[in-house]
Amino acid sequence: MSADLDPITVEVIGAALSSIVEETGEALVRASYSTNIKERRDCSTALFDREGRTLCQAEHIPIHLGSFLDFIPMILDVHDPANMRPGDVFIGNDAYRGGGTHLPDIVLAEPIFIDGALVAWTVNLAHHSDFVDRAHAHIYQEGMRIPPIRLYRAGALQTDVQELILLNCQVPRERLSDLRAQMAANRVGVQRFTDLCERYGVDTVLASGEALLDYAERKMRAGLEALPDGRWRFEDVFDSLDFDEALPIAVEITIAGSDIRLDFEAPPQVRSGINMTRTALLATVYYIVKSVVDPTVLPNAGLARPITVLAPDGSILNCAHPAAVNGRVQTCQRVADLILGALAQAAPERVSACTNSSCTVAVFSGTRQTGPDVGTYWVYLETIGGGGGARAEADGLDGIHVHVTNTSNLPIEALELEYPLILERYELIDGSGGAGMHRGGMGLRRVYRATEDCMVSVDISRNLSRSWGLEGGGSGGHGGFTVSPDTDAFVRGKGTLRAGEWLEVITPGGGGYGRAIGSRADLAAQ
Amino acid sequence: MKDEAAQVEPTFSWRVGVDSGGTFTDVCLFDASSGDISVWKVASTPDDPSRGIAVGVDEALETHGVAARDRSAAVAYLGHGTTVATNALITGAGARVGLITTAGFRDLLEIGRQKRPDLYDLSLAKPKTLVPRELRFEVSERLLHTGDVAIALDEDAVRTAARQMRDEGVAAVAICFLYAFLNPDHERIAKRIVAEEMPDAFLCASHDIAPEFREFERLSTVTVNAYLGPIMHRYISRLSPRFTDMGVLVPPHLTQSNGGVVRFEAAAQTPVRAVLSGPSTGVVAARAIGTRAGVEDIITFDMGGTSSDVALMAGGDVTQTNESTVHGYPIKAPMLDIHTVGAGGGSIASIDSGGLLKVGPESAGADPGPVCYGLGANQPTVTDANIVLQILNPSHLLDGRMKVRRDLAVDAIAKIAAKLGLGVEETAQGILSVVTANMAKAIRVISVQRGHDPRGYALMAFGGAGPLHAVRLAQELGMERVIVPRNPGILCAMGLLLTDLRADFSSTFLVSLEAGSLSQISTTMSEVEIQAEAWFEEEAIPAEHRRTARRIDMRYEGQNHELPIPVPDGCLDAAMLEGLKEAFAEAHTRMYGFAVEGERINCVTFRVEATGVVQKADLSEAELGPEDAAIAKTGTRDVWYPETGTFTQTELYARDKLRPGMVFNGPAIVEQMDTTTLIPPKVTVRIDRLDNLILELAS
Repeated sequence: MSADLDPITVEVIGAALSSIVEETGEALVRASYSTNIKERRDCSTALFDREGRTLCQAEHIPIHLGSFLDFIPMILDVHDPANMRPGDVFIGNDAYRGGGTHLPDIVLAEPIFIDGALVAWTVNLAHHSDFVDRAHAHIYQEGMRIPPIRLYRAGALQTDVQELILLNCQVPRERLSDLRAQMAANRVGVQRFTDLCERYGVDTVLASGEALLDYAERKMRAGLEALPDGRWRFEDVFDSLDFDEALPIAVEITIAGSDIRLDFEAPPQVRSGINMTRTALLATVYYIVKSVVDPTVLPNAGLARPITVLAPDGSILNCAHPAAVNGRVQTCQRVADLILGALAQAAPERVSACTNSSCTVAVFSGTRQTGPDVGTYWVYLETIGGGGGARAEADGLDGIHVHVTNTSNLPIEALELEYPLILERYELIDGSGGAGMHRGGMGLRRVYRATEDCMVSVDISRNLSRSWGLEGGGSGGHGGFTVSPDTDAFVRGKGTLRAGEWLEVITPGGGGYGRAIGSRADLAAQ
Repeated sequence: MKDEAAQVEPTFSWRVGVDSGGTFTDVCLFDASSGDISVWKVASTPDDPSRGIAVGVDEALETHGVAARDRSAAVAYLGHGTTVATNALITGAGARVGLITTAGFRDLLEIGRQKRPDLYDLSLAKPKTLVPRELRFEVSERLLHTGDVAIALDEDAVRTAARQMRDEGVAAVAICFLYAFLNPDHERIAKRIVAEEMPDAFLCASHDIAPEFREFERLSTVTVNAYLGPIMHRYISRLSPRFTDMGVLVPPHLTQSNGGVVRFEAAAQTPVRAVLSGPSTGVVAARAIGTRAGVEDIITFDMGGTSSDVALMAGGDVTQTNESTVHGYPIKAPMLDIHTVGAGGGSIASIDSGGLLKVGPESAGADPGPVCYGLGANQPTVTDANIVLQILNPSHLLDGRMKVRRDLAVDAIAKIAAKLGLGVEETAQGILSVVTANMAKAIRVISVQRGHDPRGYALMAFGGAGPLHAVRLAQELGMERVIVPRNPGILCAMGLLLTDLRADFSSTFLVSLEAGSLSQISTTMSEVEIQAEAWFEEEAIPAEHRRTARRIDMRYEGQNHELPIPVPDGCLDAAMLEGLKEAFAEAHTRMYGFAVEGERINCVTFRVEATGVVQKADLSEAELGPEDAAIAKTGTRDVWYPETGTFTQTELYARDKLRPGMVFNGPAIVEQMDTTTLIPPKVTVRIDRLDNLILELAS
């Protein structure tokens, strides 16, 4: 901390930085068009320092931190900062060259200049519901790969770049509008950060940013110090409809003083979208370690300093080009619980039993057969929550998103207005939460009926395995899906619904905590 | 006390406002014949608040010589603000509620938007579900997004559910079906059947309470309404006879979250519209005072012991919102856009594990309170910091009625200072800076996040601690003017005398803003206007006191978040349509920095705000006197300022000796019973005609 920088100024500027990222996030959601952003809030915003270290991330979706981690360094790798101008906006999504963790997450980054010098970046990510109904043997099947390139040059839209991107999208009108919303969010970020620098001086703001990284590190270290030293191992499996047998994964966690090291074991990467990039793994680890050690640590790059992560290169947890990655969020969820399982041995009172450990996804797409937009392509993607793990002091939460994802559902009254689908049931599943002194959270059931023919893809997990309980608690229920009797059988979660046919998706429950005492009448629900 | 001879003539000259809080019940009296405002404070009676209210109103009127026999003629208006609904929601003390809903969706109330309560904290719980699962009944029925019936209502199932609820001792029933905002037929039939089976239950349906799109938020709203209904009914039925018994026969009015009042009968039907009524009257008073003072762009700042409420008023209008989450429950109801932050005088300062100074949201409350109260607390609070710096009187508070111990506050802050490596005064100032930053964050939410630059606004400070922190907060936000009204501690009670009758009506109907849809647009608008007319009739508001403001919430086709666009008076014709398009483009640009030429615009919700203008307390203006404020000086105190870095001799002024026209410069402190105003160096104060302190900050 520099001489004229006291802890109070740092705290005051920290409050202002978090205001900025929250505000940019709000602008992004409100100006957007796609249901995935405007209602489900599948987007994130952040501020970065000149070198690309996170200064502050809005509390939206933890996995998005993975996309943020490498994007600025990758831009700086390809583009000379000396040639950057105010109003330049960089776009990218690639998992290997563009800082992404899967292709639908498109990142927009804009450098912030004060007195002609590049001092920081405002960055946001939106999950564009596009690039659907595809195969996932390798990343070239998964959508358009965009390296870090300029979408705007000194404030001028690069129409040729935009046209190329839009032609590769299934719902270009939505993409265009959501990109505009992303631009609006960055505009807010630039303006507010500039105002902050005017008020406090750019040097003080930047030095405070630096100090906030140190601060997050100190808090993380203080939290780790409070945990016992030791080494703990935990094993689980990863299963999905892509595999006939579950894949084994394991972690060994070592805490020594204020340092933590996580050694993962995982099979080689697979011809399926479940592979995780290294950044996705880091984002997952940072999220869950922070949650267990100290949920109040600022979400910035400083919290990562005490954490060492090792995973075999070219494995499903640390994949290499050209592995497909579209469904990586399922794997991330399992990894988060894997870490909980190891840390449960160190501090059982701080963790929950296994959550539903999935991010259940249903994607519907087709060509409009009626109405004013007849003939146009439509895409609807939704993720469905499941049970939370039971806690030492309480039952698991029912029907929520866990770990690295945190999106809202789409109101039924919006879903049916926008898409040729009718939702017939949306409810908690009795008995899906693991038994125990505290019950695991319940999974969800959603039943959709198509009113027009459409392509469907369901991505589920815990279909073979079940979420584990802690301290004698029982396991949660499986995830799965069913289609109407006349519907042609789905292959590995993919198929077609004709008008009038239905699909039922159920999501897994969470594990219980502690041995059940007597019979709990409320195991069903409360 | 006035004698018999001096008693007032029964001339409908008295207006009474009574604000019932947890600790005190404030009664504010306005004498229309003299223009005088006076205040009466009594202890609240939390076991039965109506008792304290009755005592307060009775004593206040008695003190001013309005005897019981004259009151039916003398009291022209009675406005009441209560936190009974809010408290029932916070403490979980609402009624046993049953729910009837569309088959397949009884768990929606619990699932909500599927998000967890905190992103990182694994131990948190969701807010308690207000209807247990066994009292949530599904009945077969289904509407489509067009409002057409796909499955007819199973009336027998409704009857069976009602009987079961009756047997279960359910006191209130909420009915919510999908798309009831488009077609309320099924809800109406269900309501009739339930009423037949449960004649004594409190009943409400979603199309009555919140006829708008998004089923979960509508469901949550109607459920909260049912949860609070029996509580509000009981409250009003206890209170009404007390007023009649003391001779006050005028129909009493209750405040709503939108800052207006409605009659008790109406308030009892929609208690969900009162859950944020507490702070709303303070904002209404601030608006009235600001408007009278000629300042129409104001951010209000109401700081108490545990929290601060902020709101924004642009061009004389307080920003409203139609949806908010109150204590974890989403509520769709018109409310003033008031943002609350856990920062108050009692907020506790501490150093966290990363070595930074944190203030709040934990509060020391009234007992043990701040360290300086000497009641055994050892964690320093914001108040202790003010005592250490001697901004607050370091030996006595409340006009000398309460002794404080500065030495204890110094010791407590010294411990924190040692850890930070700073001096005691620097640390005390640090506590104030951090709490100021927290409050600034709240103001950014209601200003910059809504497209308003706070630098163009004046800050109006009230509540016990508002005037103490206002200048620092204004400086943090780059604001140049602070207004402190005459009685910052009783602004809520005063607001009750300054508010109008208000009701809001709305209808959701998705239609494009284009010439081809003109007849649908104007029909929908007039349907809502007809509802407003009916309300005027019900409330017996004379034609010359009726005001309406029309608004349509619009968005670009494809978006889901609307912007409210005012609809001017007059016929909704093609020309007005063009005007609305332009107004939308402007609003969109202000909010998001862009508009899209040629993009289709959708009208979503049509709203009418109906106001019955009430004759209000008229704030009297005084002539400006001489500038010299010397007669108001009561002495000096050494106060520590970051500007000087040392204790600096500071003039003290008594608020009740300051007169309109006086001018003086900081550093200065103005003291009065219910608050202290800090005027740091380089700030100028003048007293305006309405007896407000106007603080001008050097930019």
